[in-house]
Amino acid sequence: MKAKVLALGVLLMAVPLFAHHGGASLYDMSKEVTLDATVTEYQWTNPHVEIGLDAKDNKGKVRHWIIEANSPPVMANKGWNRKSLQPGEVIKITFNPSQRGGSVGRFIKLVKADGKEMLRG
Amino acid sequence: MRNRLRWSAVWLLGILGFISGCSANKGGKPTSQVPDLSGIWLGKGIQSLSPADPMGHKRPGTEGDIPYTPWSIARMKAQRPATGPDQDFAKTTDPALRYADPDGYPRASIHPMRFKIVQTPDSIYQLWEYNKSWRQIALNRPHSEVPDISWFGESVGKWEGDTLVVDSIGFKDSTWLDPIGHPHTEDLHMIERIRRVDPETLVFNFTFDDPKAYAKPWNGELTFKLKTDGIMTETIYTISDELSFRQRFLNEKPTIPIRPSP
Repeated sequence: MKAKVLALGVLLMAVPLFAHHGGASLYDMSKEVTLDATVTEYQWTNPHVEIGLDAKDNKGKVRHWIIEANSPPVMANKGWNRKSLQPGEVIKITFNPSQRGGSVGRFIKLVKADGKEMLRG
Repeated sequence: MRNRLRWSAVWLLGILGFISGCSANKGGKPTSQVPDLSGIWLGKGIQSLSPADPMGHKRPGTEGDIPYTPWSIARMKAQRPATGPDQDFAKTTDPALRYADPDGYPRASIHPMRFKIVQTPDSIYQLWEYNKSWRQIALNRPHSEVPDISWFGESVGKWEGDTLVVDSIGFKDSTWLDPIGHPHTEDLHMIERIRRVDPETLVFNFTFDDPKAYAKPWNGELTFKLKTDGIMTETIYTISDELSFRQRFLNEKPTIPIRPSP
């Protein structure tokens, strides 16, 4: 799978859409990263849903990421549930990268293999 | 025959009236005579009760509509909320995040999560899916002589036309009114005016009266939309889940053992 990392210099309003947790103090809200990735883990958990994934970097090396989404009840209001993702699924995912570096991010949206788009709650 | 039918009808109406009277609380109006607030409600998930700055973009003291005292503005500037222009999630002093304290009220209604109103003749209950917490508003009775100091305070209410007016005291002073961190003391006296402005919309108007914290009473407002799918989920905020989150996302070493997976 060809990895594609796009660091977009799009200045986004740091609107605190989350009830709490990862906001502008943890993530760079001015950047978006988009990856073609394989889901390795999907935890419908508190305080926030977590998506684990593997994606190749520009040199073809597989890198593991953990992406923070929103709280289960907030995501449920947007149609998510505990079986919305399965390990092994191929997705295109977009997130804000960490301010501190490391392979973590704040979920924005994803597109499944069948073209279905899923948004942050 | 006609007389027998007439007396049967009178008797039936009498029985129905008796049953209706029994279902009404002696101190309150029957639920059929007051507006129906019951249902599942979902708010917008604001960050601040300041009507001028509901998403908490402005620094404390610049909102323009919060009459801080020197005590409360000093408190605001010393805090580290997890939202707003000075947010610092990693080192937050937000008691609901740092210690997994209950949100208290009205903050419990500020999450973008649902709550249910259950309405009876003598009490109205709010049931929040966040932390599965609840609050009772007792109708048509005075406050306790010596109210407890509690996370959600003591609330009594009465109907004024189509509006439920709720008087609350006895709030624990460690809670924040909202995620941005507006403080209060144990002397907080909160008045709510709750009205179903249309079948789909419930509006809570708040007046916060707390002389040590605010130079004069000030107002906030929360609006909720009706959800008709009947779904109430749960999210329980635990220290163990929070430490696990911080370990994974902030690379922090847990200060106490994290609950192991079974």
